[in-house]
Amino acid sequence: MSAGTLGIAASRSTGRWGLALWTAVLLVMMAAGLAAFAYQFANGLIVTGLRNTMMWGQYILFFMFFVGLSAGGLIVASAGRLFGVTAFKPITRLAVVEATVAVMLAGIFIIPDLGRPERVLNILLHPNLTSPMVWDITIVIAYTVLSMSYVWLYTRADLARRGSWLALGTGVSARELARDERLKSILAWIALPAAILLHSITAWIFGLQISRTFWYSAIMAPLFIASALVSGLSLVILLALTLRRLRRIDFEDRLVAYLGALLGVFVVVEAFFVGSEFLTAAYPGVPDDTGPITRLVVGPYAPLFWTEAIVGLVVPFVILAVSRTRRRPELVALAAGLAIAGIFVHRLNLLLNGLSFVPIPLPPGVAIGASQADAARSFATYHWYVPTIVEWLVVLGVLAFGALLFTLAVLVLPLREHLVEEHADI
Amino acid sequence: MPDPKKVSPVDALPAASRAYGEIGRHSGKPHWGMVVDQERCIGCWSCAVVCKSENNVPLGGWWNRILTDGDALDEPRDERGQLQMAWLPLACQHCENAPCVKVCPVAATYHRDDGVVMMDNDRCIGCRYCMIACPYGVRTFNWGTPERPTPHETGMVAARPLGTVEKCTLCVHRIAEGQVPSCVWSCPAQARIFGDLNDPDSRVARLARDGRVLLEEAGTKPSVIYLSPRRKHEL
Repeated sequence: MSAGTLGIAASRSTGRWGLALWTAVLLVMMAAGLAAFAYQFANGLIVTGLRNTMMWGQYILFFMFFVGLSAGGLIVASAGRLFGVTAFKPITRLAVVEATVAVMLAGIFIIPDLGRPERVLNILLHPNLTSPMVWDITIVIAYTVLSMSYVWLYTRADLARRGSWLALGTGVSARELARDERLKSILAWIALPAAILLHSITAWIFGLQISRTFWYSAIMAPLFIASALVSGLSLVILLALTLRRLRRIDFEDRLVAYLGALLGVFVVVEAFFVGSEFLTAAYPGVPDDTGPITRLVVGPYAPLFWTEAIVGLVVPFVILAVSRTRRRPELVALAAGLAIAGIFVHRLNLLLNGLSFVPIPLPPGVAIGASQADAARSFATYHWYVPTIVEWLVVLGVLAFGALLFTLAVLVLPLREHLVEEHADI
Repeated sequence: MPDPKKVSPVDALPAASRAYGEIGRHSGKPHWGMVVDQERCIGCWSCAVVCKSENNVPLGGWWNRILTDGDALDEPRDERGQLQMAWLPLACQHCENAPCVKVCPVAATYHRDDGVVMMDNDRCIGCRYCMIACPYGVRTFNWGTPERPTPHETGMVAARPLGTVEKCTLCVHRIAEGQVPSCVWSCPAQARIFGDLNDPDSRVARLARDGRVLLEEAGTKPSVIYLSPRRKHEL
């Protein structure tokens, strides 16, 4: 404890400047994002790269990516508690904070995707209960509340010790600490299924649509869970190593190797589900089902698919499977970075390949929905989607908001697990 | 002076023209449907163009398209040594088990009692989930401020706002006046037959028995039925 305080004191003057610069950069990015969103709101989604032939893009991609990051973080945190894996303790608070920020960003990413964002409350005023999107928004809201309570429950005792108002007037008597432990166990029982549900429902937004053969598969929900575990755990590893360097939390290298091994298992599960999906779709030789697989393996999206497979699955697996490399935190960090990028590309492939080819591909195809100088471009059977600068600015703005929120949480909340509590647990 | 809003455009038509567009017999509780005869369709796109002007559809959007059953627009294809050509006129299929109605988060797309799948453009939040769910690709989104070839609006229907989804309504504004949809009325080859599928003796119901629906395996139960383009008689 005292070593940590000393460390912060030593790096205080450089740290303060670094923090100011970091905050300034994030604020500028947020302002640019807001400006881009205002521009999009005034002109409509025509300023994006989307059209009738490819109706969801960057925003939905980041929505599902962040739902995954969130679900993954909380599954790791709550499974650790439920199955009594005490090794996770030093990073549990971090994982819960990560999950909270990620689910909030996921919710925010829905807004710029809407054509009429000012009508978003219609979802609550006139919900259609057969819509997976209504299920999803319900679970996103519930899960945000749940993960916020989780963060508070894990940090409130330390906040109370500091005399912070964030403890909401609660104290640190033995009785209150015992109640904390009880509540943590109860919450873990709710949080684990909620996290799994959150990501399953997001998968069902896509997987229940018979119109999109590449998505219409029972493996979609399990596959999304596997992707969530890979990307969520990877982000937790990267954040944990960063915060250890910044001396906000402490843990031993052994934990990194342990998390790395776990990540290796998740990577294998992800690869297994992807392989199983591809084989099932390709084997009968029905063109509607083999088409998407061909496009990914040898077609226009082959570079993306092989990036997903080699950079995102094979390389991390090799690093994490060999015990000599797994014991080096910087290599585990590299594997986690590659795995997270791989999951991002995986979701990009899912979106591009599921949507960009129209379901009845007879000429001239689908009207793209925007007037064209060249009439021949008014219809298309295929859409090569490239996000516009507006879409990038909006996304970067939301990401900057998330980074700011996380920075704030790290500065305000006691993320270091308190030693007294560890004894109370045993 | 009579209120101009009360004189419907149909009232203003000459009697012969009005009679040509009349829906005719139907049961008291109709389920509106359409038969499209692919043997009669000549691929002229009249119905598609009339639809655009009738329904005030902006540039870049089409509620009704004429697909060519082949590899390229208006090009015949080789079928067992014979040149064959057929078109597939495609608009909303007004499915009974409509995927778009199921997925709309705000129930902005819904079934009317007469089977028509309708849009409420004042409620639509523009999420485009219905476009993802539709296996026929017949919905179009107002990506930008709707543009028209002239500064004026066209047809008999109010424009839909920016950021909402629109599609074929089976010309409900004409049905309300006892008239068939404008694509049916305008087809020079009389390839479209409109009527009440609930009335077993209606022409549309009788013809529908020999037809097929698109993507039957998707289980959507469309109200638009197609007659095969290969029905030539032997001499």
